Amino acid sequence: MTLLSSILGLRRDERLLKIPPYLSALLVIVGCVWLCLLPLDEYSRKTYISENALLPGQVHTYFGGSEHNVFRAYRHEVAGLVGKSEQERSQKLGDILRLAGLKVATQKYEYDVSGRKLSGENVYAVLQGPRADATEAVVMIASWKTMNGDINHSGVALLLTLARYMKRWSLWSKDVIFLISGDSREGPQAWVDAYHNAVLPASVEPLTIKSGALQGAVAIEYPAGPWGHRFDKLHILYDGTNGQLSNLDLFNTAVQIASNQMGIGCTLQRMFDHKNTYEERLQTMLRGMVNQGLGHSTGPHSSFIPYHVDAITLQTVGDGWHDEMGLGKVVESLFRSLNNLLEHLHQSFFLYLLLQAKVFVSIGTYLPSAMLVAANFTVTCIALWVQSGRPLNSSKATSAATPGASKEEKMVVIKEKKSVALVPASTLAVVERKMFFPLAYIAAAHFLGLIPFYLFNNSPEHVLRPLFHATTAITLVLPIMTATAVSQFRRPTQQETTLIQCFSLLLLGMFLSALATLNFSLSFIIGVLAVPLSFVRRIPNSTVLPCLMTVILTAVSPMMVATLATQHWHYDVVDLLLQAAQGWHIWGMWTQVVVWLVWFPAWFAGASIVVWSLPGL
Amino acid sequence: MSVQRQKLVLFGAAAAVRLLLFTAFPALPDILTGRVEVSTPVSSFKRLQEGLFLYNHNVSPYDGGVYHQAPLLLPIFNLLPNATTYPFFTNLMYIIVDLMGGHMIMKLAETGESTSSRLYVSPRSELRWSSISIGAGYLFSPFTLISCIARPTTVFANLFMLTAIAEAARGASATFILALSFASYISLHPILLFPPLAMLVYDVHSKRTKRSISPIAFSVRYSLAVCATIGGLLLVSYLLTGSWEFLVATYGVRLLLPDLTPNVGLWWYFFIEMFDSFRGFFLGVFWLHMASYVGGLSIRIRRQPLFVAVTMTGIFAVFQPYPSIADSALYLALVPLYRHVFPLMRYTFLSSAAIIYTSFLGPAFYHLWIYAGSGNANFFYAITLVWSLGLSVVVVDSIYAVLRDEWELERPEMKGQEVRMI
Repeated sequence: MTLLSSILGLRRDERLLKIPPYLSALLVIVGCVWLCLLPLDEYSRKTYISENALLPGQVHTYFGGSEHNVFRAYRHEVAGLVGKSEQERSQKLGDILRLAGLKVATQKYEYDVSGRKLSGENVYAVLQGPRADATEAVVMIASWKTMNGDINHSGVALLLTLARYMKRWSLWSKDVIFLISGDSREGPQAWVDAYHNAVLPASVEPLTIKSGALQGAVAIEYPAGPWGHRFDKLHILYDGTNGQLSNLDLFNTAVQIASNQMGIGCTLQRMFDHKNTYEERLQTMLRGMVNQGLGHSTGPHSSFIPYHVDAITLQTVGDGWHDEMGLGKVVESLFRSLNNLLEHLHQSFFLYLLLQAKVFVSIGTYLPSAMLVAANFTVTCIALWVQSGRPLNSSKATSAATPGASKEEKMVVIKEKKSVALVPASTLAVVERKMFFPLAYIAAAHFLGLIPFYLFNNSPEHVLRPLFHATTAITLVLPIMTATAVSQFRRPTQQETTLIQCFSLLLLGMFLSALATLNFSLSFIIGVLAVPLSFVRRIPNSTVLPCLMTVILTAVSPMMVATLATQHWHYDVVDLLLQAAQGWHIWGMWTQVVVWLVWFPAWFAGASIVVWSLPGL
Repeated sequence: MSVQRQKLVLFGAAAAVRLLLFTAFPALPDILTGRVEVSTPVSSFKRLQEGLFLYNHNVSPYDGGVYHQAPLLLPIFNLLPNATTYPFFTNLMYIIVDLMGGHMIMKLAETGESTSSRLYVSPRSELRWSSISIGAGYLFSPFTLISCIARPTTVFANLFMLTAIAEAARGASATFILALSFASYISLHPILLFPPLAMLVYDVHSKRTKRSISPIAFSVRYSLAVCATIGGLLLVSYLLTGSWEFLVATYGVRLLLPDLTPNVGLWWYFFIEMFDSFRGFFLGVFWLHMASYVGGLSIRIRRQPLFVAVTMTGIFAVFQPYPSIADSALYLALVPLYRHVFPLMRYTFLSSAAIIYTSFLGPAFYHLWIYAGSGNANFFYAITLVWSLGLSVVVVDSIYAVLRDEWELERPEMKGQEVRMI
């Protein structure tokens, strides 16, 4: 109790207010260093299969022999369909699946985003598991076009071969759905939305045949043409929209089967030549974080993950000696493992960062880094709150006084009936916080973010580039314009600007720490980019510092970051915006909401603070 | 600006914000209606629609076991055009209910009963917020806004509770009895507010008439009046639905907790985990626990009955079987009436941080549990525990502050001194 009271007594100490900026900086540094430590052996772990029922690679695979001839025949059939109309293609693919003895259906879909029509047709077939009661199903996907836009010749052919092959086995205790989607992102999305009876636009057809609850999905991308191409490694994609990941067990099973049973090397995050050094692990992790942070759809599997269907995509990469039959065996073995599942994949991790195909970090180890970065804003917010409640002159008075002199504080005599008491004046002095203007300003800043959010998602393609540049220009000068306009009516007091920053950082810290549990990477990236916001202050009577702060804040504004990032990765900004609009309208991606309603308002408030300290305002 | 004009601007702004949210985001009401944090089995707007549909088709609204709300709400909503085709009128009604609530809380603040009652005048009574600020605190609190947009029937209970408290503080017996009866009729637990509020009316009356009124006769008269009013309401409900089954379907559900849909309270998880043989016992314990606060607080803080009533709304927000953020909105709006004891509170930062953080982490963890599947029920329950902790810290801390305020009046020499609770 005495300890508590001495801590409470410390609150009045002037020196305490000097600590928060250093504490904030410390939190950010520790957070970033923490992240950089993760690739070390001491902090990462080897992957392991958590769900015993999976038994990866424990079965003998029979895919081979004459199936190879069937595969080659199908590959030529598929090659013959290139350039044909959508309808003809669906018809032919459906016929092949029907010949294999499966129930076949098609689904047309069309999305209208940014003035472009994204349309196609999905063909799918249901293999009713001989031992199944149609309550559970697993999905095999081969999109007609790969993520790179190539025709998925061998992938589709392999799916057709496997469909014919798997139909003849009696061991399936789950239904198997074979899906050939029109493209690699919208098609699977339309299909999985329709499968779960989501609210669909009228241009997306409902499904005519369905099976049970989906337990897992595996997509194959093998764009080798009619004459085949031997590959070197399997590139496994596992991240879904909004940074949700598939269960680590599914990924591990794929790696285990491919590398241990078939001897095919596995790689991830486009790190095709991974030597398992610290730098490469770090780079893998950062690439994974960028993908997760963007929250976009990275392949046909991505659409399944929001529906709690664990899914991965297997891509073939490089020139090597593995052929289609090896890949076929991997897929067969993977489906045999999924077939073993007694309940939904739940044992292993859903939140992890992969450093290499067999090394990962779990959420308990990495979450603190994002939380520390988010906490830095909260620390500054508390400091600003305390600061806003202090009378302006008190800091000068007490800083001049020695600690001994502070005891001679002004005392007030209080009389109640007959009793008399001496009370320090400071306990009675209450600095009224004028909160209306700061609250209104922060609320307005959040509403302001809705405007670019709406415009970017609902403008036609040809407008996007000028719109992007206009938005960049406007958002950069907006703090100056707003601050000037506000100053015309009434110059905000020091306390009000402190409170604006306080509330803005409070919200930012809160949003980011809540976001860190949903999408760690996005929270971390935005947190790091917003770090300068917790160090800007309104400094009157100074020219150099405010100008410096303006430059720094301009560099970390959302629009500038987007511009610089697209330039660095040689990516067209219009493509980025198209993807974002597609994300919002089709995949249910929330990244833009976070950018415009969390990051932008915080940046805007921070920039306004700086602008008010510019001379003449 | 005169107070009247300020009030007009405040109400205009509050109505405008609500209208904006209703019209600019037409999907928002339905999204919020589906949130477990706002809509509970006993207050959900969706369930009300179901009950209304059955009622309109001459089926008992309680058939099917979905509707657990008071029967008299049905004819009221029946007067309005269909909420799905013409949502404007329903929205308008909810906006008006909120504004009336704001009006009531301002009336309550204007009485000054929180700082100076008959038996007690706080030494800090000059330190208070204006009624406009308190009204604004209620009308612009995000919790109030969300519960207005999500349209649970809790807002009616809240309005009646506010009316009952405000009218009691003004000494208006008839409206107090009516409002309290309506509130209890809608959500049962407000009946626990009767003892403190009756004491409040008693205090106000005796202060005004300056002569002693017999407390026994007073309490008998008021108890009978409340019983009669509630009895009348139940009778009308019986005539309306044609049977007494509504008693089991409404109050029975609140008392026996058959629906364990998650909410922000403490009951659902506890009763999911429990073996059936203990259910009856613990239902009794939980209800007794909540009800027991009335007696203790009314006796200990006899000199400030309004504070007991305010604290009871906080207890309801934490310990009632189906709490939602609408209940917390009511409590958090009433706490600012005790602005004068804020300097004495010790954990304001802890409690406000807990409340603010959990209001963001709650939905995030619910998402992890229900949609993403990467979390489980414990995630959400842990957050509701912290939420309840935050609210109960406010309750405890404000009780401490009020007691200390009273104590400092007795012993002025102890002002500003550290104290130790033994």
